[in-house]
Parts: sequence; C-alpha cells; structure tokens
Amino acid sequence: MTDRRTVLIRYDEIGLKGGNRKFFEKCLLRNIKRVLSGTNDIIYRSPRGRILLDIPASLGAECTVRLKTVPGIASFSIGISMAPDFDAMADLGVQWIEPALESVSSLKFCVKTRRSAKSFPKTSPEVNFEVGSRIMTKLSSRGLTVNIKEAEYVLEIEIGSSETVVFDNREPGLRGLPVGSSGNVLCLLSGGIDSPVAAFMMACRGCRVHFVFFDNQPFLGRGGYDKVLSLAKKINHFQARGTLFVVPFQDMQAAIRDHCNEENRIVLYRRMMYRIAGEIAERHGSMALVTGEAMGQVASQTLENLAAVSCVTSLSVFRPLIGMNKESIISRAKEIGTYETSIEPQPDCCSVFMPKNPVTRSKIPFLERDEEKIPWQELQDDALTRMEIIKVDDL
Amino acid sequence: MIYLDNAATTPMDEEVVGRMNDSMRDFFANSGTPYRIGLDAKRLIEKSAESIAEYLGIPSTHRIVFTSGGTESNNLFIKGLCFPDKKTAFLDLEHPSVTESLAFLKQFGNEPFSLLPFQKEGRLDLNSISTLGGERVKLLCLSHVNNELGTVNDPLQIISALAKESPQTKLFLDGVQAIGKLKLDPDMWKGLAGYSISGHKIHGPKGIGLLIYDSRLVLNPQMHGGKQQFGVRSGTLPLPLIVGLETAIKLAVARTEQTQKYLQGLCRHLVQGLKNIQERLPELKICFNSLVDGDVTRQSPGMVNFSFPPVEGEVILHHLEEKNIFVGLGSACSAHSKKPSRILMGIGLSEEQARCSLRVSFSHNNTTDEIDQFLEAFAKAYQALYATFLHKAEHR
Repeated sequence: MTDRRTVLIRYDEIGLKGGNRKFFEKCLLRNIKRVLSGTNDIIYRSPRGRILLDIPASLGAECTVRLKTVPGIASFSIGISMAPDFDAMADLGVQWIEPALESVSSLKFCVKTRRSAKSFPKTSPEVNFEVGSRIMTKLSSRGLTVNIKEAEYVLEIEIGSSETVVFDNREPGLRGLPVGSSGNVLCLLSGGIDSPVAAFMMACRGCRVHFVFFDNQPFLGRGGYDKVLSLAKKINHFQARGTLFVVPFQDMQAAIRDHCNEENRIVLYRRMMYRIAGEIAERHGSMALVTGEAMGQVASQTLENLAAVSCVTSLSVFRPLIGMNKESIISRAKEIGTYETSIEPQPDCCSVFMPKNPVTRSKIPFLERDEEKIPWQELQDDALTRMEIIKVDDL
Repeated sequence: MIYLDNAATTPMDEEVVGRMNDSMRDFFANSGTPYRIGLDAKRLIEKSAESIAEYLGIPSTHRIVFTSGGTESNNLFIKGLCFPDKKTAFLDLEHPSVTESLAFLKQFGNEPFSLLPFQKEGRLDLNSISTLGGERVKLLCLSHVNNELGTVNDPLQIISALAKESPQTKLFLDGVQAIGKLKLDPDMWKGLAGYSISGHKIHGPKGIGLLIYDSRLVLNPQMHGGKQQFGVRSGTLPLPLIVGLETAIKLAVARTEQTQKYLQGLCRHLVQGLKNIQERLPELKICFNSLVDGDVTRQSPGMVNFSFPPVEGEVILHHLEEKNIFVGLGSACSAHSKKPSRILMGIGLSEEQARCSLRVSFSHNNTTDEIDQFLEAFAKAYQALYATFLHKAEHR
C-alpha cells in the first residue's frame, strides 16, 4: 500500500453560499493550513466542494486530532487516492475488509459511491455494483454479505473531476462557518462555565472572538485572572489570533458600591462592563459583544435586567446561550474542554461588593439617577488607560 | 518578599536541596533490585530511616513508613486500622485529611465520636477522656498542633489520662505542624499508636511524609503493589525525597529549642505590634484566637491567629499580597463559597469573626523587621477597607 493518504474534507454551510463561496473556502483552507502548520510534507488541493490534503500515512492520527478543532468542517475521511479502476478499487477494499473478517463469522457490507465528475461513464449505482461484486467474489466464502440498509462496513468511493478517493471512515467536524468569515466580536469572559461556551459558539459561526475580563485583584487575588487566561487560551485553540483585554475594575466597583443604591449594584456593574466593552470593541475593531447570559439563570439575567444592560451600547449584543438550560451548557463546556477550568474554585466577586437583595426588575430611570452620583466617565477612561492587552497566541 | 505562611508550606533548606541533588545523580537505582547499585540505594534508605528514628527518639517497637505526605499518612493509619468497624473519636478540629478519613468510615456505619463539646480553646479537655470508655472508642485521633490555631494537645498528658480513664483507647496524633516547633519527648512513643509527619512543613521536599506506628498493630494497606515497606505501603521508594526528609528532620530537631525561643520572640513582637495598632486605631478591635502565653504544652510558638471584624481576612490578604507580603487564611470571601473556617467556628467564633481572620505563621527565616513591615501594611489595609466593610455590616 502507498505511504501517502488523502484527507477528504467536507464543509458545512459554505456549500450553501452563492457568490461568496470562494471567500469562505479560502478562509477555511487558511484555517486548516494554520492548524497543520509545523507538520511537513502536506499538499493542499481544493477541487469544487471539497478540500483534499495529500499527507504522509504517518500523519493520519495527528491530522484527525487537529482537524477536529476547525470550525466550518462538516466531516472528513482519510483514504487513498487512485485511478478510477474497478479492479484496483476492489483490491483495496479486500485488503481493508479482510482483517475485519478475521474475528467474526459474518459481516454485512456495502459500497457507496458519490460521483461529482458527471463525465465519468458509469453511474454511482453501477460503480457500487462493479466494485462490490468484485469484492464479493473474493470474500463471500468467508462470510461477507451485501446489506445496504444495515451495513456494518461501508466502503466509500468519491469520483471527482481530478481524482478518485476510496475510504472507509468518517470523522465528524465542528460544523458551522470558518473563523474569520464573519468578522470580529468581543466576548465578556468571567471565568464561569457559560461565557467560554458562548465564545466557542460564536467562533463556530465564523467570528474571531476577542475577550474582555473585568479584574479586581486587590480584593480577589490573581486566581480569577489566571483562570481567565487559561480559558481564553482554550477557546483560542479553535480560532487563533484572539486578544484578551484585562480591565482593572475595582475602582469602578467601589464607586458604585459606595454611592449607588445597593439593590441596583449588580445591574450597574454590568452596565459599566457593557460600556467599557463597547468602547474596547469600537477601538479594536469588534462589531458586536458576546455574553454567556441565559434567560432567567440568575437575578441579573431577567428580561428587564438584560434590557437595562443592553441599552448602554449601540453595538449588537449576542447571547448564544439565551435559550439553553444549565445542563446543556455544562455538557457543551465539557465537550470543548473548558468545564474543568471553569469549576476551579475562584471567587468572581467579593462578598463586599454583593448586594443583599439584588433587584430583579430594574428600572432604567432609577439606574440612570444612580449613575449620576459617580464620575463613571472618568473611571471608565482611567480603567481603559490601565487596561492590559494580551495576545492569546503568545500565552 | 515577606513570607508569613509557614504553616502552609516552607521554603526548602539549602542543605536539603544539596543532598537531594546529589542523591538524584548518584543513586538512581531501584532499591528493590538485587544487584549492587540497587542494594546501595536500599542501604541509603535504611540508613536514612535509622537516622530519622534516632533524631526523633523512635523506639524499635515502632515502624517508620514513608508516604507521600501528611494526608496519606493520616489516611493510611485511620482507614488501615479502623476499617470497617473500629470505633473512633476526634475533636472535630483536625485537618481535613483526618476528618475526611473518619467521614469515609461513616458509610460503613462507623460514626466517629466527636469530643467537640468538650474542647477548651481548641484543645481536648482531659476531663472528657472518661467518656471514651462508655463509647467503646478504640482510637482517638487528634492534631498534635492544630493547623489553624497552633493549639497543642500535649501527648504525655493525654496518654496518662487515657491509661487511667480509657485504657482500651489508643492515640493517634497528626504531628505535621509540631516537628521543629515542639520537642518530642521520647516517652510519648510508648503510649502512641501512630504519628504522622510531612516533609514540606519543615523546610523539606513536597511529596514525602512519614507514618510512625506501633508495629504490633495490623494496618490494611491502602496502596497495593510490590509489597514494599512491610507490605503496608507499596511503591518504589523515592530515595531523593527520603534523604531530603531525613536532612530536614535532622536540621529541624537540632534547632528546635533555638527555633522555639526565636519564634516565641516573633510571636510576642507581632502580638504587641497588633495591640499597639489597636491603641492607635479606635476602629480596630482585635481578638486573638489562640493563646500567646509562652507555654509550649498549650500553644505552638509558630502561629498567631486573630480576628478583626468587620474587615474580611481574604481581602486583607490580597491587599498585603500587593505589598509582597504573604499570610494565611482559614476561610474564603468568595461569593460562591461562603463557608468560613470550620475550625474557628468549632471553637465558638461567630461567622463574621471567622471570616474576618488571618493566620500568621513563622519560621526561623523570619525577622522582627519583617513583622514590622507586616504590621504597617496591615494597619494601612485595615484603615483603607474599614469604611467599606462597616458599610456592608450596616446593610445586613
């Protein structure tokens, strides 16, 4: 068998795009090249509707792991490129199926062909028959039977205009759109379970996600900061080139705590976070804010309170988790590998800043009156001046 | 940097690092192998164990088992001896590795008998020992020195009380915070069923500890494998950690008396300094959660625990951290984990007092100048935060 393999990458919704299709395909190819950088000897090709990688056989496992981190890939298979010759394809099939027959008395199988090169003289069902019958001739005596509906082993053939690939495996991808195809967004990252999941979901919609963290080290120590660094790094793994903005927030929080109505504190903190995030987004080229809020999950996430925080910025605020329950969010966090970090015990707000009874249905005029009591514009400018900017790739 | 959290861990002594370094290079062989270099490693480990026995006055009736640290030693002895149904007692002020090992036995119907109602200022009240007989307690588990308060349970007094009042009850002491601060009386071993020690609390390496126990007792192993160390604790012996521990014990024991006096001086300096600040700042009311009367049968000289409501300990800790001063804490300020220290609550402090406390713990490396810097930073942080927390307390 040849020492080269072909990775056949199918993409998701890009297939639906009309005039922009080339742009999306380019984005995806660039992202694939990025995750595979550092591995030598890969030849990239992109015939219509597919991306093909010609790799050394020894790189198969490594490629599988890396391609699973690229949004925009629907699924991929690792197989062998060959001439569309029925005898050769059947020989390869026999070679692959034989080991599977060693441990069983019978095996149901079928051949599935997809023919994008319509100039090929046989139809897909005809190719299935030609290759399948040749394999059966050699292996039916050893318990191989044809069963299209309940096949335990599927040999697949893709006949393209430039090459034919034979394979017997399919790995699911992250689906969605390639990062970079939808522009930049800024995600408010807290260190909890929800916001990293929200960031990941936006990355899978083609956005490059940047992060902002509101820090209060004099009261909470560096634990929360370290945790957010680690979460940003984990999300950035799916996209690269993210930036983390760390905003010192203790003075703002202290001013709100000391001068405003206690019950309004949390909504006021959040309004300031949104304002500062909005300012950062505009200065650094993000077109929307992303948060991990889910309807009704905590006191600050009621319909009234969400409206009261959204109205301080003119940017769109995306809340991809808004309709999800906690269990589903947790299971997503586990899938993407952020859960274990998120549940490390680190305080996210010192009790001294927490109100006893936070308001659940805040009224905007009351909030505005509270805000008149503090020099929030000055505090915001000061926080932005002292903000730390971290390139997540460098972490 | 001013490091005042020596009850959490201690920096390694240079001599310990040197010996470990040499042994890592020179004695890499597995001490369980039959050839010369393996036997050399075995011989070095045996010599270390003998030296440790000598430094601590451990008699031949007791075995020394190397473990991964204090937590493993406590787990091995308590679960190894009392599983499933040997009745136990404790003060309920011990380190979690003791209380959680006892809690593990609960699921087999073996509930530990709590002597908490009989504690006095964090120590076992000797008068309560008579209750153990009626409860058919086979093992009493205590801290030699409490890890948050520094209070001492004096082994000789407890052993003699047990002999009179409840002779069927054996004594196990968690000695992790005691070595190097208190002199061990060799007589205590006669009445002691088990004793645990940790390397990193005495300027030794992390990842190594000792369980010293009466060899007539049968312990069920908690770690199964190659049957090293009498079959009680399997696993290839970590020679570099063992020689590191031996060196740390040697140094700690040799300077115990000197250290004790020195730390008592630091303690007095700190306490007096806090009292002076209190006089200067009318809003500061300090409550000392551990005695500081110089009696080492009652209080370890290495630790001072004090409360200062309404300012939370964790917030002061982070303000001190900004000045590069590191102190310890028994409770958390997190909005999620609102539980204050179990030990401080156990000796009768209110939730607020428990939350508003710090633990300062010394080593021979600390100086009075460092204590002065701590005092100054503490006073400043307290003044800066007082209004904030007063505000919060009024809103409650």
